[in-house]
Amino acid sequence: MKNLLKIENLSVKGNGKEILKGVSLKIESGEIQALLGPNASGKTVLSQVILGNPKYEVVRGKIIFRGKKITQLSPEKRVKMGLALAWQSSPAIKGVKLSQLLKRISSEKDLKIKEGRELLEREVNVDFSGGEKKISELLQILALNPKLVIFDEIDSGLDIKKIEKVARIIKKELLGKNPKVTILLITHSGAILNFLKPDITNVMVGGKIICKEKDYRKVLRVIKKYGYEKCKKCLPR
Amino acid sequence: MKNVKNVYPVRGQRVLTEIKRKQTSNGANYWQFDHKVKKILEVKGITILPSPQAWERFIWTRKWFGKKPKEGYFIWVKEQTDFPLTTCVTIASPKISQNLTNLLVIEKNIKTEANVLCNAAKGNLCGSHRAQGKLILKEGSFLKYNHFHKWGEKDLVEPNYEFILEKDSKLIYNYQNLLPPKNLRLITAFHNKENSSVQANFVINSLNSKTELKESIFLEGKNSQGILKLRLVGKKEGQIEAKSTILATSPSRGHLDCQGLLVDRKSKISLIPELICQNKLAQITHEASIGRISEEELNYLRMRGLSEEEAINLIVSGFLKS
Repeated sequence: MKNLLKIENLSVKGNGKEILKGVSLKIESGEIQALLGPNASGKTVLSQVILGNPKYEVVRGKIIFRGKKITQLSPEKRVKMGLALAWQSSPAIKGVKLSQLLKRISSEKDLKIKEGRELLEREVNVDFSGGEKKISELLQILALNPKLVIFDEIDSGLDIKKIEKVARIIKKELLGKNPKVTILLITHSGAILNFLKPDITNVMVGGKIICKEKDYRKVLRVIKKYGYEKCKKCLPR
Repeated sequence: MKNVKNVYPVRGQRVLTEIKRKQTSNGANYWQFDHKVKKILEVKGITILPSPQAWERFIWTRKWFGKKPKEGYFIWVKEQTDFPLTTCVTIASPKISQNLTNLLVIEKNIKTEANVLCNAAKGNLCGSHRAQGKLILKEGSFLKYNHFHKWGEKDLVEPNYEFILEKDSKLIYNYQNLLPPKNLRLITAFHNKENSSVQANFVINSLNSKTELKESIFLEGKNSQGILKLRLVGKKEGQIEAKSTILATSPSRGHLDCQGLLVDRKSKISLIPELICQNKLAQITHEASIGRISEEELNYLRMRGLSEEEAINLIVSGFLKS
């Protein structure tokens, strides 16, 4: 399998402060990878930089997607190439109905899933509960018909039943496609990993990926027992 | 029984597309191009005349007109109809200076809707449009008044409208100006008598234009209510100054909601809300804010595949609807 996304030695500044300090990551087509890390380790910033948020400045390194260097591309061009990001905390867009936004970003008329229909006539993320926001993100991601999706904390704030439901939709609508959609799961708690079973689990601490492991259960066990700092010592790079 | 008079061949069809979309085939209409009345379409129960003719024919209108009008329309709704009133006043030739005096009277307990378009047929006509309007809602009547302005970049526009809401009447006033003139000076006053209510919504997109607004609600009658809502966008160096007043002299309730959105660095919006309470049983509240487009919202929409401009336009259209 060839690399769909390749990040090489990426260093990024935000508000003049270095947040990512030489991140390297390779994701192959059809893979599910996980990225775990404590709060403020740089996970969300990495996801935003992959999608091209102009708020962050890439000071070193490069991002390659589908064989093309995209480090300087605008967010919309990256999305058109097949990248998509489900935001951890998505902003409200007043006066714009979710159905209106979906219509703008997708050529398909019908929704792929039955969940979230009650949200369509409401303004995007305005007074949405945590769970409703996640469903809204999923609906938008599916409408984009992406090749690689980054889910930033899609499991945070959801009870176990809802996490299972979200995982079921991801399995059916993204992993069930031919070819499979490639997924990067960013998670603080790791709760969704038991349902989606990633091929590789990465751990990020202090703006660096400090370990990479095939057995996600092993990573979760270590983190639960010793905390994130221990990963550095106990797992091979 | 339909009574069609002064029917001329209609030129500038493009201009009328929007207004036509809103009317039914039975609609009562007044169409004026430059200084010429192009068409009047009357139906039973509604009198429509050029204002100078109304001045001559109905002596009682002189009280409202004040002085003899030069041009403009008089619409008198005496019976209930099932279709909206439609008026269209267009500047179609270069350097036209319109000076309209309009009078709309809704009789007791009549419920109706009016779609009113004032516009320029082209963007570079350098015209001026001045309008003095009086709108009388008699006891128990209801009017939904949709007022659309679409101007050229070099036009000067000065409408001055006064709404008299008699006992138990209700007005919903929607003013929308998405293509502003070079200079817009808009004065609107609402006089609320006992148990009457007004909800006035102003939506203005100031694109490279200077806009002065002065809206006032006078809560004069017991249990009268007024809501004034402004959504203002400053774009392409647009300058907006809005002075909004609610004055309560009787036990009444009023609310003022002004929000401005600046799209570029050189635009400016000034909001001057003024609440004056002269009755201890009256309650008037206000909220006002001016902000720039949120970078977070912009980037969120760009990460949904919209270009920066498309994302800004979507945020602005949402803001104007909110």
